[in-house]
Amino acid sequence: MKELHKLLDRIVQRVNINLRELEFDVNPLVSKLIPAGQMTKFYAFYGITPHHSLNLVFKHSNLSGSYFLGKVRVTNSLLYKSDIRGDELKKNGDLFQYQDFNIPVDQDEEISIDDSFLIKTLVHNYSHDPETLETFFIRDTVSAHFANIHGSPTDGSFLGPFATVDLTTIRDCVIGAYSYVQAGEVSHLNIEPGTVWVRKPGDFNFMYRYPISQLSNYVYFAAGSPPQGVFMDFLEDRKEAFQRVFSVVNIETPLSVPPSASLDRFAVIKPKTKIGENVLVAQRAFLQNSVLGKGANAQENCYIINAKLQGNNVTAHGAKIIEADLGKNVFVGFNGFLRGRPGARITIGQDSVIMPHTIIDVRNPLTIPSGHLVWGLVQNPKDLQTNSMSLKDFSKINSRMCKGAMLFEGSGGSFVSGFQERIHHILEANGAFYDGKLKRGHAQRNQNISFNTIQPYPEGDKEGLYPTIIIQP
Amino acid sequence: MKNYLVKDLMVPISEYATVPEDATLFEAVLALEKAQEQFNQNRYSHRAVLILDKQKKVVGKLSQMDFLGALEPRDANLEQIRNFKQFGFSRKAVALQQEEYLKSSAPILDFYSKAARKKVTEYMQRPTEGEYVDENASLDMALHQLTAGANLSLLVTRGAEIVGVLRLADVFAAVYHSMKESELQKTPGEA
Repeated sequence: MKELHKLLDRIVQRVNINLRELEFDVNPLVSKLIPAGQMTKFYAFYGITPHHSLNLVFKHSNLSGSYFLGKVRVTNSLLYKSDIRGDELKKNGDLFQYQDFNIPVDQDEEISIDDSFLIKTLVHNYSHDPETLETFFIRDTVSAHFANIHGSPTDGSFLGPFATVDLTTIRDCVIGAYSYVQAGEVSHLNIEPGTVWVRKPGDFNFMYRYPISQLSNYVYFAAGSPPQGVFMDFLEDRKEAFQRVFSVVNIETPLSVPPSASLDRFAVIKPKTKIGENVLVAQRAFLQNSVLGKGANAQENCYIINAKLQGNNVTAHGAKIIEADLGKNVFVGFNGFLRGRPGARITIGQDSVIMPHTIIDVRNPLTIPSGHLVWGLVQNPKDLQTNSMSLKDFSKINSRMCKGAMLFEGSGGSFVSGFQERIHHILEANGAFYDGKLKRGHAQRNQNISFNTIQPYPEGDKEGLYPTIIIQP
Repeated sequence: MKNYLVKDLMVPISEYATVPEDATLFEAVLALEKAQEQFNQNRYSHRAVLILDKQKKVVGKLSQMDFLGALEPRDANLEQIRNFKQFGFSRKAVALQQEEYLKSSAPILDFYSKAARKKVTEYMQRPTEGEYVDENASLDMALHQLTAGANLSLLVTRGAEIVGVLRLADVFAAVYHSMKESELQKTPGEA
């Protein structure tokens, strides 16, 4: 296992060099985060379908429990139980629109991961950086549990647990636990835990900061131990259910699914779950006693328990919905944590937008009216009043507004329409609008996917390292 | 333009407001008030207090800006809000968020009362190399030092000793009067 240790030291050093200006040392945070034994325990796997390109190159890396799809290159990296989903990459001949430019894509885009340590991290979407159209790079980076790197080329950075970078190129940044950043391009920033920042320069700027004392109850991360708090406890309680789906080679589909829907074989489906047409259930999703209406989706690391989603609902990567009733077209953003309780359900009216990294955790019934925008921490009706607004009213903001710990500046109309367009795009990409012939999306293309497994050296100096592997059609 | 030297324009240290380094902000304000009462009413008012160590050596300067900065409420959340500028928010937006936060904080008079008891050394600025000027230096030299360092005043030295303060307002007045004099002496039509 000597090589594996050397690799970790190399990655830590490279990340620290990039973060020296911020005086940030990742070593105490990650050196013992994943016991070496765990890194050798799990196989890696990749998907094959006729609808996705297949071009995987793995060199001098550990890929323990990780999943790959599409065109991916991994070099000198440690990927622990991460999902590298290359099913939305740009193709040769595509035109990339940026401001007034239409830039042609010269070759199929590739996810390229170098000198990085990703822990239970999701990598998805495509590079939104016009300067690097054909390569969605992640280099000299460490990301902790359940981070999302979504359409975000990342260089020399650290992402805390449950952090998300979305459609943003980041360089030499620290993104604190449970922070969400969608800001185009950022560098040399140390973003405090619990920051939700959405910015389109020259158009709008949204910022919310969680009260740290309350956020610590949900996620707390310090050197010397894994992340702690409600989020991790919630996941740990359901961890066992995933062991079966990953240990069994040929698993039976636990329920019947309409032909236009897709249920990943690495998802956990508990009894009394119903799946409608055009539904997409991704790997590592967990469904229990829930109804997913037509066009709804459950993306990676989503948990939907005792809930009813009426249709065309986006449940973005890492979102959890428990004891809740969602009207049509309700969007729940990345890592949202919506926890009702028996007798204290959460009801969300149609067309509402629950912003990424929102926590709604109630002990009494709570109703969110239709067409509302919700952000931050909501534990009771008073919090809801502070941390929500109708989309209509939000659209009217044209200078600046402050509400509780939320600060907004710019055009509320652009902000709202930006969200709405993106939600529509996600539904479209996921195949929610498939009519039997046209508008195919992931729900239709990800059916009948085959999975192959690959494994590392079982012992010796190279124990845990995977041999150089090139997988092509 | 008259060839002024720094010593022609400086305020002698004996006329300047000074406090010892263990003084509080409130004592500094009282010293400023007292110095102002004794100062020539025709000149611009004092705008800073000098902090002296036990050997009467100048170790710092407390400007009006430093004083007002000390009155700004401080806690970790406010520091975070003030950092919002690095996320692309305007000053107005930051002020708005700060105001919202302060609504739920202690009354402003409590902040004043606490700030009054703080030590001047916590808020004073220690002079840097570019803030000293020799008493026999020319006005041009002083002007350059003031503008290059964006300083509001310079400490005037005689050897190792600080003998006065050269203030931006006095330099401005001197330059202005010289310019006016020179322009008025020109004959009509002269460029």
